[in-house]
Amino acid sequence: MTIVTGKAEARRRLQSGWSGVLWKMWEHRADYAYVLPAIAVMLIVIAYPIYYTIELSFFKTPPGLQLRDKIYVGFDNYTNILTSPVFWKVTWNTMIWTLASTFISFVLGFGSALALHRDFIGRGVLRAILIIPWVISAVAASYIWKWIYHSDFGVIGAVLVGLGWADRPPNFIDNVSTVLPSLIVVNIWREFPFAMIMMMAGLQTVPEQLLSAAKVDGASAWQRFWHVTFPHLSSVSTVTILLLAVANFNSFIIPWIMTGGGPSNASHIWITHIYELAFGRQLWGVASAYSVLLFLILMTLGYFYVRALSGNERKEGRA
Amino acid sequence: MSTIAETAPRRQTRRRMRVDGWRWGGRIFLVFMLFYTALPMIWMLLTSIKSGFAAMQFPPQWWPDEPTLASYQKLLDPQNSVGQDFLRFFWNSLFVSTATTILSVIVAVPAAYAFSRFRFPGRNFLFFAVLLRNMFPAVIFLVPLFILMRMLGLVNTHGSLILTYLTFGLPLAIWLLKGFYDNIPVQLEQAARIDGATRFQAFILIVMPLSTPGIIATAIYSFIGAWNEYIYAYTFLSKNEQLTLPVGIQRFFSENTTDFPGLMAASFMMSVPVVVLFLVLQRYFVRALTEGAVKH
Repeated sequence: MTIVTGKAEARRRLQSGWSGVLWKMWEHRADYAYVLPAIAVMLIVIAYPIYYTIELSFFKTPPGLQLRDKIYVGFDNYTNILTSPVFWKVTWNTMIWTLASTFISFVLGFGSALALHRDFIGRGVLRAILIIPWVISAVAASYIWKWIYHSDFGVIGAVLVGLGWADRPPNFIDNVSTVLPSLIVVNIWREFPFAMIMMMAGLQTVPEQLLSAAKVDGASAWQRFWHVTFPHLSSVSTVTILLLAVANFNSFIIPWIMTGGGPSNASHIWITHIYELAFGRQLWGVASAYSVLLFLILMTLGYFYVRALSGNERKEGRA
Repeated sequence: MSTIAETAPRRQTRRRMRVDGWRWGGRIFLVFMLFYTALPMIWMLLTSIKSGFAAMQFPPQWWPDEPTLASYQKLLDPQNSVGQDFLRFFWNSLFVSTATTILSVIVAVPAAYAFSRFRFPGRNFLFFAVLLRNMFPAVIFLVPLFILMRMLGLVNTHGSLILTYLTFGLPLAIWLLKGFYDNIPVQLEQAARIDGATRFQAFILIVMPLSTPGIIATAIYSFIGAWNEYIYAYTFLSKNEQLTLPVGIQRFFSENTTDFPGLMAASFMMSVPVVVLFLVLQRYFVRALTEGAVKH
């Protein structure tokens, strides 16, 4: 597999410990040149901001981004956040948003991938149409759906009235109880194609011989799916679900453009709330503390993500 | 390669299968998904060819009484101010997205190759560090990056966006391409090197052509990501003549809140380049995911 020369391999075995590592790094010095550009960009745009966010979260900052005048306040920002009712409201919204979007997108995407797996006339066209929402910009999608949900001239309201299911067009996104589900529908519209593409790719790796063998042995369609297809897809499913969960947790555009978090915080999720705190109310310290909390949650998710991915790596190594 | 060989017998077995409940369930499900996906887009198109007055009616005109392309003409006409702005935003988006795409291919290809071929210390750590970038939302980086860009003198330039977008595309690009290189037999390169090629020549002449689908997929992903990005463009740019399409459209329609046909026409025109690009090249993308990321 690897292009490691026998000499280097022998040296690696001879030398162990810290000096061995340094020696190995020196041996491979040319290899780093290949990854250097990628790492450099990442360091500038990621490592520095992370450090800065953590620092800022312990300070109180005056408005106007005069960051030299910041005042050290210890953990005050954190205690303020955790005791404020808005925090729990927003957290609850974020949980509903993330879980519902992720779960339904995955189910719809997986279902579409399965239904599109067998060949029929027009399959390619149908697949292309189903993928389009994922490619369209979220800003465009938000405006399209905002128009569809419009309280006076929206098409859904008109259909409901036309069918006699409502007396007057319902107001979907200015209503505290319907706003979040309405936005989730938009988010799923944009997100399920991603799950579909991933699962379509995954389905192609299920060995056909196993399915035929199961069929010969008299397994029903459901049994073939549950005992052969599904286990083969476990690692790609895990990766897909995690990527969806992270993307949903981090979504911003749809709630921001469609409602801006309102009415009365009913559609604020963490990211829109942080944005509003930072750029709307100029509470940089509090916003940074929020970001650090978010960071911790994401690191936990990231741990599972890396584990799912390195599970793949290990299998690859064995093969 | 092997996938093509496998589909042929599969078709035969499928056809022999009796029509069962699963199959009908699948069809009904697909029809439902088709409606869910396509109807909003159809409504966007229908609204975009109405006049402003015709759009604001209840009950709506299901099919426009007097279809008109006025909204499109307005957006594409460099003579009036709306068209001028729109075309400029379009051009800005095109410039930023293209630059991002070219740079991310240049940066991702060697990195992915190294992660696939070399076993240097810290390889796994660096690989996962790069992947972890995907975990963090734009907002976390927004404030410090804004300050950083101010220090670098890049605020209100397209350079700030290109540098930032580069890091969005990189993790997935590196991951996809690494999977690709993993599947290219090392023996091919070794044979070339025995014949006297340097490692660089072997890479350019043997590995690069074989990984073209992966590179195309990477390029599509970067381009679409940059084309659709909103939050950094919204924060970093304030001068009207530099805005990219998503922000430009949002700015414009926060001032003209009732021009829904214009808004729908703008949304449509903004979507056309990426949708066309994706549809033309989608088989590379699906293939790259299959061969690169999923199949192991």
